[in-house]
Amino acid sequence: MSTKPDVFRTCVWPACLVGLLITGILSLDCNLLHFHLRKVTWQNLRLLSSTSSSFPVECLQETTAFELPQEILSHTQPVKRYIKEAFYEMSIQAFNIFSQHTFKTTWEKDYLKQIQIGLYQQLQYLEQCLEEEEKEKEDSKEMEQNGINWSGAMVSQLSNLELRRYFNRIDNFLKEKKYSHCAWEIIRVEIRRCFYYFQKFAVLLRKK
Amino acid sequence: MLALLGATTLVLVAAVRWMLPAAAGETNLKSPQNVEVYIIDDTFILQWNRSEPSVKNVTFSADYQTLENDTWVKLPGCQSVASTKCNFSSVKLNVYEEIKLRIRAEKDSHTSPWHYVDSFTLFGKAQIGPPKVHLEAEDKAIIINISPPGTKDHGMWALDSSSFTYSLDIWKNSSSGERRTKTVYPRDKIYKLSPETTYCLKVKARLLPRKTGVYSPVYCIKTTVENKLPPPENIQVDAKNHIYVLKWDYTYENVTFQAQWLHAYLKKIPGDNSGKWKQIPNCENVQTTQCVFPKNTFRKGIYLIRVRASDGNTTSVWSNEEKFDTQLQITPFPPVITMKSTNDVSLRVYISAPEESENKPVNHHYPLIYEIIFWENTSNAERKIQENRTDFTFPKLKPLTVYCVKARALIQEGKWNKSSVFSDIVCEKTKPGNTSKTWLIAGVCAALFSIPVVIYVMKLLFRCISYVFFPSSKPPSTIDEYFSEQPLRNLLLFTSEEHTERCFIIENRNTITAVEETNQTDGEHKKYNSQTSQDSGNYSNEDESSGSKFSEESLNQETE
Repeated sequence: MSTKPDVFRTCVWPACLVGLLITGILSLDCNLLHFHLRKVTWQNLRLLSSTSSSFPVECLQETTAFELPQEILSHTQPVKRYIKEAFYEMSIQAFNIFSQHTFKTTWEKDYLKQIQIGLYQQLQYLEQCLEEEEKEKEDSKEMEQNGINWSGAMVSQLSNLELRRYFNRIDNFLKEKKYSHCAWEIIRVEIRRCFYYFQKFAVLLRKK
Repeated sequence: MLALLGATTLVLVAAVRWMLPAAAGETNLKSPQNVEVYIIDDTFILQWNRSEPSVKNVTFSADYQTLENDTWVKLPGCQSVASTKCNFSSVKLNVYEEIKLRIRAEKDSHTSPWHYVDSFTLFGKAQIGPPKVHLEAEDKAIIINISPPGTKDHGMWALDSSSFTYSLDIWKNSSSGERRTKTVYPRDKIYKLSPETTYCLKVKARLLPRKTGVYSPVYCIKTTVENKLPPPENIQVDAKNHIYVLKWDYTYENVTFQAQWLHAYLKKIPGDNSGKWKQIPNCENVQTTQCVFPKNTFRKGIYLIRVRASDGNTTSVWSNEEKFDTQLQITPFPPVITMKSTNDVSLRVYISAPEESENKPVNHHYPLIYEIIFWENTSNAERKIQENRTDFTFPKLKPLTVYCVKARALIQEGKWNKSSVFSDIVCEKTKPGNTSKTWLIAGVCAALFSIPVVIYVMKLLFRCISYVFFPSSKPPSTIDEYFSEQPLRNLLLFTSEEHTERCFIIENRNTITAVEETNQTDGEHKKYNSQTSQDSGNYSNEDESSGSKFSEESLNQETE
């Protein structure tokens, strides 16, 4: 009889905790991926922040406002799908920037590679999630036919366009500056902003 | 007046001519209909229908306007076009900015009203064109090389060089059915094909989330004669504590194997990566169908691994490229089970995470499923269940029988299937079935025993209540003693004034005696005075002048 409270204390309580945790995760679509996404985005942010400690002074005068569409978080927040889409769009564009053939930079090459690896991982998880959902959508096509979804898709498309304009500005800037050292330094700082957003997206996705 | 009238009529006529040019010129031109913009990759097409097919020699011209620039600009490639279609690909525009178009019909000097097209972005209208595909055949595989749609590095897909994903549709030329759909990298390999067979395939590019391109033309290719040495199959990487074990299957003996790896992200970037594969340490010229390498060989990330066989003279082609994500190489830890027999002849099972483990958080973060194997100790019949709860019951068992249970944790998530080893076996005997009677007796006994206790508690409670709410009306005994001789009604006044009154009385007596003494002396004086006065009264009338005389004399004596 004396073991009874012990059993409860040592087993039931952690079991309840685990149970709670599990139900929390199971309510997501691609649950395991969200966990990994959060981990990867955090690693990436740390990595990009560590690439160089200070911004070169000689590049200060070249800095440009790229106007990251800040409302993207609030616009996409209501629907998990939009978060994923914006998250994916930003990730792929950041990956593209870092994967340009004309990459001439003083950043340590290894760091760059690590960022690409991290972003690719992020993309893979998101891609998988989006594809999974696509399949689910095909299975329940009739649900698509209502107007709410259509207007939602418009919102998502508009925010997608906003993001593309933003990355187009970055792309044009790099081309104009002929991928100079300063241009890259400025872009690196700019992309770090996106990485903060990734972190926020990942948290939002896990919360929902 | 006439001049003014003339001027106004002129203006009116001019206005009418401007507003209705056809009215004056007899050719009432109408603006084109069904104007549509078609964009595929970097080709921009404007298409429309004639409103009056009968009217000859009509041409069309279009303008465009951006939001930044309020003026209409002539759309290049779409000026004085005689057909119902023009190509304005040469226009230099930001594909993400909104633009407006307008088009009208023209004949000689006459023009139709403008037809306006709703504002749009070129990117929004753009469709993904067919990708270009290059194929190479192996005996059991086809190497595919896809060039992304559009022009490289600029134009519509300038931001998307690495963004495209490709869907491939492949089938045997001979048979109509059995199509395989696959998502492929720009440079990829399609495996599990038969040798010397013609395969046909088509590819479409996609931009997640919602742009899907058109299929490429169908390409067909015949696989080669089967090689002597097949490539290894079923490549698999397992994570152990500090090592990775790379395993594969191979049917022939006396061969050596070689394994290589590549960063998977490189596959996403178009271009040739064949030179970037690297040797896995400890996996060169191995004769076994597995090799072991330390975990720190790979940093975090996604890798591709391929293996090939060699018998000294010939070398097989490379195997299937196996994707390998270091982050997903987790093996859950075996759970800890506790079992408890309950009174309704059931066994309750609790599953918990292991307490002491090297990598503690692993189990907690994953949606684990538990596979539980349950059996009666004496028989071999096992029951296997899968549960995601950590607390559940095996109901309706035989009473007083020993049952045993073991469990393992599984991670089942799409392609990943990981399982822990089984936990320790836990056995427990069920309780006898008639337990309810004994419990009833015990309950009755307990109830009987508790009655006196309850009564005693009630009594105490009653005393407490009566003490607090209904105190006895007698004052405390000390007060009683003190005032025992005093009448109770004076209790309040008496205590405060008694002493002062006494004092007063004492003081009074002194003063009174003193006053009485003085009064007594005064009285004697008075008596004496009154006597004398009485006497003097007798004299006073007689001795009035003598008195005055006396006073005059005394006065005189005084003045002298």
